[in-house]
Amino acid sequence: MPLAITGSAMRTSLGDTAETYQALLAGESGRQPLRYVAPEGVNVRYGYHVDATGPERPYRASAWLTECVTAAAREAGLDCARQRVVAIVGTGLRELRAVERWRADGQPADLGALHFGAAVRAALPGVEEVVTVSNACSASSHALALAADLIELDEADAVLACGADAMTESMLAMIGRVGDESSDAVRPFDADRRGVLLGDGAVAVVVQRAPETGAAVRLRGVGMSCDAYHETAPDPDGLRAAMTDAYRRAGLRPADVGLVLAHGTGTALNDPTEAGVLAGLFADAEPGPLVTGIKGAVGHTSGSAGLMSLLVAVEALRHGQVPPVVGLRTPIAEAAPLNLVVGEPVDTDARVAQVNAFGFGGVNAVCLVEVRRER
Amino acid sequence: MSGDRVAVEAAAVHVPGIAPERLIASATEPDCGPDEAHTLLGRKGLLFKEPAVRIAMCAVHRALGLPPGRPAAPVPGAAGTAVVVSSNLGNVATVCDIVDQVRAGGLRGVSPMQAPNASSNIIASSIAIRYGFTGPNLMVCSGATGGLDALRLGALLVRSGRAPRVVVVGAEPADETATSLRAAAGLPPGPPQGIAACVVLAPAERPGGVRLHSVRRHRAPEPIPAGGPRTVRLACGTGFGPADDDVAALVGAGYGATGVLQAALATRWLTDPATRPAGVDEAAEAMLTCGSAGDGFATARLYRDGAGT
Repeated sequence: MPLAITGSAMRTSLGDTAETYQALLAGESGRQPLRYVAPEGVNVRYGYHVDATGPERPYRASAWLTECVTAAAREAGLDCARQRVVAIVGTGLRELRAVERWRADGQPADLGALHFGAAVRAALPGVEEVVTVSNACSASSHALALAADLIELDEADAVLACGADAMTESMLAMIGRVGDESSDAVRPFDADRRGVLLGDGAVAVVVQRAPETGAAVRLRGVGMSCDAYHETAPDPDGLRAAMTDAYRRAGLRPADVGLVLAHGTGTALNDPTEAGVLAGLFADAEPGPLVTGIKGAVGHTSGSAGLMSLLVAVEALRHGQVPPVVGLRTPIAEAAPLNLVVGEPVDTDARVAQVNAFGFGGVNAVCLVEVRRER
Repeated sequence: MSGDRVAVEAAAVHVPGIAPERLIASATEPDCGPDEAHTLLGRKGLLFKEPAVRIAMCAVHRALGLPPGRPAAPVPGAAGTAVVVSSNLGNVATVCDIVDQVRAGGLRGVSPMQAPNASSNIIASSIAIRYGFTGPNLMVCSGATGGLDALRLGALLVRSGRAPRVVVVGAEPADETATSLRAAAGLPPGPPQGIAACVVLAPAERPGGVRLHSVRRHRAPEPIPAGGPRTVRLACGTGFGPADDDVAALVGAGYGATGVLQAALATRWLTDPATRPAGVDEAAEAMLTCGSAGDGFATARLYRDGAGT
């Protein structure tokens, strides 16, 4: 059954979808001095924040999600009275920041607001079924896979696949603790990369059955896999399994893909592993797809990252212009076979993009999306 | 969702710190607590594993019918097996412990071995790593409906053909942080050493056994209909049903684990009379409801295939 993306919205440190795409084309970054958490305490000095001013707002991931769900549902024309609407929210960090502030700062903690049921219903009160899936850094792409299944099995008429994350002190601490030095910026696939930094944001995408004609954005397939290998280190076999699953579901071959939105975290382990797997996947596809990524510009937005990459892929296919990997100057050797977009945007007439998302615990989800352009 | 194509192939509960026959009448051995999990799981690989991860693994280990000890290789049928876990409080102790150390100026004292535990999906990924499950791996953190949400997503993975088998788990710990958060939220305290359960879902290919009929979400609690076939009813948070019932109170304290615990108990009770504690009668189907006023409710229906329903 063909699936369409009929509405979407996101909020990153660079703004909404259009603003984020334009900033990416211009090579801009949303990086700021770290807010809310003492930098020396966590050994992290920068973040990619959505709220640029003011004191720390509690439950702000929920607030961004409500905005995104409102906008995406409006664009898709959702009507909960006439349609079976389900929401699956993917998140890496939930609202665990509230638990941290309860523990360390004596703030009240609302257990019912650690997940995102109320945030979705604040935008769409008629949605009974909201499920929060906390699948680390690939959570929102997992949500998209489940959305596709719900539509294909006719268990829903429309599914909101979402992401929402606000950075936590504990995850910042782990980043600051594991890295040898404090990263100054996220530099995906760069020889001089110094590790990951976190970003804030939310995203919502509406998936529905595609009409016979005219669906501008088609969700071709989403593959999932689990490495079952290591809690934090990626496994090339697991990454390949998710990609193989996605291509099989989509009925596509790697040669059909003209653009890849890489996971690209700027970490020692992810980037060479992902580059090697992509090089293998496209070894027989001449000239191979353009490869870019968003984390150098918006930080690692945890569970929201996958769907944010998806929306940037859609913008790039729609406008025929692929933004560069912000922060990338000198690609690592493993990425030599890839057509990484460095420095300036590159024009494309590609129609299909692959979007990677990999998470802690070896949870992988890979999407294939197609945009039909007026020519 | 509804449909009769999903079978419950196996079920186990793991609730240490209570008399085991309160839930499974035929049980004689107490369930091991998180600190004794090595007696079932073997010692290797448990260091730095949180209590919720340990008891969740115990439930999986028992549902799969494995001998004590860590499997040396992926268990039979592991490739492609999916994992869906529900837990809300599984990693709050680690999150708070890290923040305590940071605020005390002791980042260097935080062990990098704790890093994976800061991620909420540590239970689901740890189960995959231990048993070699390479299928889709999902961690549900959905509040009081989470257990039945996990069952629902597990059934979706079966029905969509994404996995030939799905290990569905519910687990909540009883550590100090989790207990304080529950108290602050006005939730009843859970069993003293946490609560875990596992059901294994697969495509229904043979007659017989227990089937998952449906799981649906609803905003308001629904009264129990009068009449109808004899049914195992487990409802928590609804205000309907015997609130002072021993089993109901215990199951109702499971929070994110409740739905899976209900499904595991119902599966055992529907299939084996010896497992039914006092007050649980012979029945051919089960109605399971979990949830809360804030989170909403979920209701699942299970039935024994071939029993004429």
